[in-house]
Amino acid sequence: MPRPEVKFVTFSIDGREVEAPEGAMLVDGAKYGDVEIPVFCYEPKLGEPVGACRMCLVEIEGIPRLQTACSTPVRDGMVVHTQTERVKEAQNSVVEFLLVNHPLDCPVCDKGGECPLQDITFGWGRGISRMVEPKRHFKKPLELSPLIAIDRERCILCYRCVRFSQEVSEDYQLVLHERGANSFVGTFDGHPYVAPFSGNIVELCPVGALTSRAYRFRARPWDIEGAGSVCTLCPAQCNVEFTVRDERVLRVLARENAGVDDGWLCDKGRFAYQSIHSEERIVQPLVREGDELRAVSWERALEAAAGALAKAKGKVGAIVGGQTTNEEGFLLQRIMREALDSPHIDARATGAAVPLELQRALAAPGLQATVPDLEFAHTVLVLGTDPIDDAPILDLRIRRGVRRHGVKLAVATSRPSALDPNAKLWLRYAPGAEQAFVAALDAALSGADGFDALAEAADADPKALLALAAMLTADSGSADDGAGGAHGGEDVVIVWGERLGVAALPALLNVAARLGLDGRPGAGLLELPAGTNGRGLREAGVQPNAGPGLAEPTQADGKSAREIAAAAAAGELTTLYLLHSDPLREHADRRLWERALERASTVITHASVMTDAIREHATVVFPAESYAEKEGTVVHPDGRLQRLRPAIGRPGMVRSEWQLLTDIAQRIGHDLGVLTGPMATQQLVAAVPFYAGLTLEEIGGRGVRWQEREAAAAAPAAPAGPFDAGTPAPAPMPNGALRLGTFRSIWASTEVEISPALRFLAARQQLEISPADAERLGLVTGDRVEVGADGTRVSATVTLRGNVPAGTIFLGEATAESSATELLGDQPRLVEVRPA
Amino acid sequence: MSDVARFGHGSRIPGWDDAVDLTKAPAGVPDPATTPVPPELRSEIEAAMAKYPDFRSAAIPALHAAQKLHGWCSPEALEQVACVMRLTPGYLTAVATFYDMFYMEPVGRHRIFVCTNISCSLRGADAVHDAIVDAAAGDPDFNIRSFECLGACDIAPMASIDGEYVGPLELADAERIVEDLRAGRPVLEEKNIRRRRSVDPGARRSATRDEDARA
Amino acid sequence: MSQHILFDDIDEPGLATLQVYERRGGYSSLRRALQMSREEVLQNLLDSGLRGRGGAGFAMGRKASFLPKGTMDKYLVCNADESEPGTFKDRELMQKSPHMLIEGMVIAAYAADANRSFIYIRGEYELQADILEAAIAQAREAGYLGERILGSELSLSLVLHRGAGAYICGEETGLLDSLEGKRGNPRLKPPFPANQGLYQGPTLINNVETLATVPHIIRMGGENYAKIGTESSTGTKLVSVSGNVQSPGNFEITLGTPAREIIYDLAGGPFPGREIRFWFPGGSSSPVLLPEDLDLAYDFNTLAQAGSMLGSGAIIVVDDSVPVIDVALKLAKFYKHESCGKCTPCREGTNWTVKMLERLETGEATPMDLDIIASVQQQIMGNCLCVLGDAMAMPLGSMVARFRGEFEQHIEEARFRAGLGAPPEPSEVEIAGVGN
Repeated sequence: MPRPEVKFVTFSIDGREVEAPEGAMLVDGAKYGDVEIPVFCYEPKLGEPVGACRMCLVEIEGIPRLQTACSTPVRDGMVVHTQTERVKEAQNSVVEFLLVNHPLDCPVCDKGGECPLQDITFGWGRGISRMVEPKRHFKKPLELSPLIAIDRERCILCYRCVRFSQEVSEDYQLVLHERGANSFVGTFDGHPYVAPFSGNIVELCPVGALTSRAYRFRARPWDIEGAGSVCTLCPAQCNVEFTVRDERVLRVLARENAGVDDGWLCDKGRFAYQSIHSEERIVQPLVREGDELRAVSWERALEAAAGALAKAKGKVGAIVGGQTTNEEGFLLQRIMREALDSPHIDARATGAAVPLELQRALAAPGLQATVPDLEFAHTVLVLGTDPIDDAPILDLRIRRGVRRHGVKLAVATSRPSALDPNAKLWLRYAPGAEQAFVAALDAALSGADGFDALAEAADADPKALLALAAMLTADSGSADDGAGGAHGGEDVVIVWGERLGVAALPALLNVAARLGLDGRPGAGLLELPAGTNGRGLREAGVQPNAGPGLAEPTQADGKSAREIAAAAAAGELTTLYLLHSDPLREHADRRLWERALERASTVITHASVMTDAIREHATVVFPAESYAEKEGTVVHPDGRLQRLRPAIGRPGMVRSEWQLLTDIAQRIGHDLGVLTGPMATQQLVAAVPFYAGLTLEEIGGRGVRWQEREAAAAAPAAPAGPFDAGTPAPAPMPNGALRLGTFRSIWASTEVEISPALRFLAARQQLEISPADAERLGLVTGDRVEVGADGTRVSATVTLRGNVPAGTIFLGEATAESSATELLGDQPRLVEVRPA
Repeated sequence: MSDVARFGHGSRIPGWDDAVDLTKAPAGVPDPATTPVPPELRSEIEAAMAKYPDFRSAAIPALHAAQKLHGWCSPEALEQVACVMRLTPGYLTAVATFYDMFYMEPVGRHRIFVCTNISCSLRGADAVHDAIVDAAAGDPDFNIRSFECLGACDIAPMASIDGEYVGPLELADAERIVEDLRAGRPVLEEKNIRRRRSVDPGARRSATRDEDARA
Repeated sequence: MSQHILFDDIDEPGLATLQVYERRGGYSSLRRALQMSREEVLQNLLDSGLRGRGGAGFAMGRKASFLPKGTMDKYLVCNADESEPGTFKDRELMQKSPHMLIEGMVIAAYAADANRSFIYIRGEYELQADILEAAIAQAREAGYLGERILGSELSLSLVLHRGAGAYICGEETGLLDSLEGKRGNPRLKPPFPANQGLYQGPTLINNVETLATVPHIIRMGGENYAKIGTESSTGTKLVSVSGNVQSPGNFEITLGTPAREIIYDLAGGPFPGREIRFWFPGGSSSPVLLPEDLDLAYDFNTLAQAGSMLGSGAIIVVDDSVPVIDVALKLAKFYKHESCGKCTPCREGTNWTVKMLERLETGEATPMDLDIIASVQQQIMGNCLCVLGDAMAMPLGSMVARFRGEFEQHIEEARFRAGLGAPPEPSEVEIAGVGN
């Protein structure tokens, strides 16, 4: 869909000529003339205006009745009055009506001081009350969920929260009951409103009816400061504003950025700030003495780490976690390559390195889709990822595109997706058969001979595949927007997950080429990396086979994550550096990693919370900064460099980690030449040709996509396709056993587990199984089972899901206990399920 | 001054004072694998869904069908409808509570809706309502409500009894209504609206013809 | 005596069946219409001057002409959610002559180029819905509905949709939301249903009586139909007369007939010994009129000029045995109950008004409160999303204005009963019309 062009028109408001974008609603248009029109229900993010609260009534010449400014678009020559007696009378009336049943308990209301109802009553109300009848009195506050409290006395029925639930998150859990003056907000039969985005309703509520149970009564608006930064808990990298009081983060609010998050936050992003101030946080350096980790001085810890590293030259492996900043990753890879002669550094939790030529092809600036493209493309294909888990906020953006702009959505995954109900077409393939599936799609597009065999190898429905191919190559013909005419066909965006695996990438690039995605505005690929800053770390050279800027490495290729584990387990690498990474939890093949950590003589880690891996294996533990304390940059999956700014001071002995890395380098005799945080950024920018000239100022509060800058021309040349897709191995046939598919839930993370408010959501291991398989095995929902392969077992609770394909089960990765990663090797697995 | 009503415990509006039950799971779209639906209900709902360009239009017909089966819109009934329609039970709760004819609590088998709106009340409907309540004497089999205008002011005061409109009612009819229902007989058959002929003197063709002849 | 078009021999046995309806010439208008072009049919509707019989009185032909051209799905919706207190004409029409409505709908769909149609009937009308369902099945069987009707280019589906008890679904956009399976909340206008109605498609919505008139317009010719009634209110109208009259019922009148004739000659007038205090000319939402207004011609414009409206054509007569305040409270409670709650002035205004009126009864009010009641009605009027708020504010406002003396008397008496004031002076003047 072409994005509408914005034209400006002139209209008159309160006697002034004002220019405003044509079609903007008067409420917004008025702002161009510095006129404020009060609103309650109007919130463009929620979809079409509803005109329910009637607060925004204005007089428009030529129309006898007062009109709602929230729903009346600005037109050329329109004459609007917002200050007449008639308008004032209407405004006074609406405020009076709203207060008829509002308790006016402002002194004890958590919203006091930042309440639109207070402000509007003051600004547009009559100032007196004629209502002498008793108001409604009800029990309050009540729990709406473990996260949200509801005070129904205060509710002014603006419908924002229920519209959010129905039109934005589309979970349809929060609804209005009854009608008229009896209407109230609630859920079905007393079920809690628990959904991935539920916290947004707190921010949307214009009164104190919906409050955050975690924030209630922790601060008054005049006690707090706002600090803008970026949430690094997942690759969506939503822009946030931390509410800070006395060096503590007390709340996280959305900081709307249309290019990133559209102003929404998931509940993890909104509530996991509590992990920053967790009791379990490691706030001082620890060094192993015998079986125990002991708190030591920085001097001791640095000495211990530097000493071990210096001794292990050529035998160090580094695993970098997704929340690492570009600067930290960049400095560590410098140390590894320049000082330790160990290019064994990797940030990919999938374990395997991606050939450089594929990386370069995938990173071609013209091939990158942006987040807003998801909303305006003709067709979006979600491939091998479920955004709700991998980058939640994009789930909302895709829904918005489907709902508001008629985007045609296709979903191709092995596990049933939250987006299936919105998709025009969804199809499944066997877990592990990603390569075969994408190759089959390529064959469906090209009409190549091998199609049937490939579809069979992927265990995918060939008819559905052909339908998908037809959908992707559709030409509505209606697009005479230039782009459509020049390219033919329609804009397609493919959102794909890093979990798709390396083997599927050549075919993916071939698909992209066939669809002509390169160089086409509004179309392209959007990768969801497994780690928050996966893209930035790769671009900063945190990978074994490429230096900063996806350059050919100056040394021989290092080892990938999986190879590091194998080498450590074999004693070839003796020292492991874990920068914000817990491979036992996040990487495949836990048993291999256990052996690696066991065998390594030194394990140095940066961590904020104690985990099994650290407790048992770490030699030196450096306390890590939280994301609210960090300084540096990260790169959004669509190439937007974003800036983290420290919102609070660091607790205990925690130091900035870029500095810690330079200190370590210093001690092993290598001066990195970095004295301040911005100097690290400068070095990074200088090292990555396509970042050239970028400054922190330029990145600013909204970030900047490097593809949109001139320096993008310096991106490494993308090799021409087609790429050799290889011969995909067929999906293993279950033959009585079951195929194992895995996913990582949004709730499977340490931050969730140690945030008291979110703890109830922490992912527990569940076995998702089809009704057919469950019947065969005599299982019902709630049964405890053991899932095993090759002598390893994990225990899980059975959940029947009608849409799981028979023959396949799904388990979660990175759960606190019984993670599915224990069962994962480097090959697709068949497993057996037994009652526990 | 009369006592100011305080609603500290239990408001007049069901639901207002209820917190959610945090032990329950969030109510998403019910999974067919774990939500059994009686086959007749399923086919009735599916037939309704097929009638409309957008399946959601079948929400009210589906709720009617489920209510007929379950007697009221019980959580179980809503879950079943939700499962067939692939909606959340919350969506259906919002719809069901909007309309007067859906019951969110169990009710008596026999519906007696007494119109007490303006035209009927001008002709004594409130007393008729009370008389029927007295006659039923708290029998839980009867679901007696005063109802808004039922669109039969020509037979005011009137009631809709198990869907049949009867009127004009007198106080003495109250006992008959209860007896007829208990006996399983058609209620006040002679006062059923099916039998009522137009009172418009010009509505009969012969009358018109006479008129024409005179003109 | 009026010409009878809709109610002509309405009680003929078996009229609800296709056989009798056809024998009486039913569906011949459809055949005739299908011989004409769409434009001609539409022109006949325009010429007839037929104004909507549901309440708003908008010209039916013009409304049909607003639908955009194009091949998209277009919808015709029959509003059979007859809920305006005092109105029961559509009920009798649907019960006794369902095919007249169906025939009208097919012709109207042809004129508006609609291909899908719905009848939204209120859930309480179970008998009428059953009758209509049977009639629709017969009509479909006979080829009057479905694909290529009577061999013409016209295809039309018709679905009967039963509501579930909500007055607001009689409001056309509330009806559309309800028909879409949602809560029956009215929508913001614009967009108007003609452009974005049902399922966001172009939609024509008409009342039962309006659509049932269509076959007669085709039979008579639009211009001939327009000769009946007055210039701006053409045709005949079913009027529901109820309340304190001796012979309540539906009467088909020629528009422009004096109201007195309808109430006294047709409906038998008030009971012996009683006098009319006031009357609602067009359902409970219309501002009340007084006995001196009885000689007004019953048509759209005359009633509008008198400060009220013809509305749904429901006359409710209130005699001198009834305290005004009882009627006011009954009405306010009704509108409070039926307010959908979407917009503030209606939701809170109806709620507050009920509380104030109740206070008048308990002796906790003073005459000053009447000013607040009146002012609250003013605050509702014109500020709401749909007309439901106005539907309470108009009659309530008119009652307080016209019967202020009686309200004050009532307040004083209640205060005295509650031990709060001196005994009120007995009222000597007749109360009606005081303060007018």
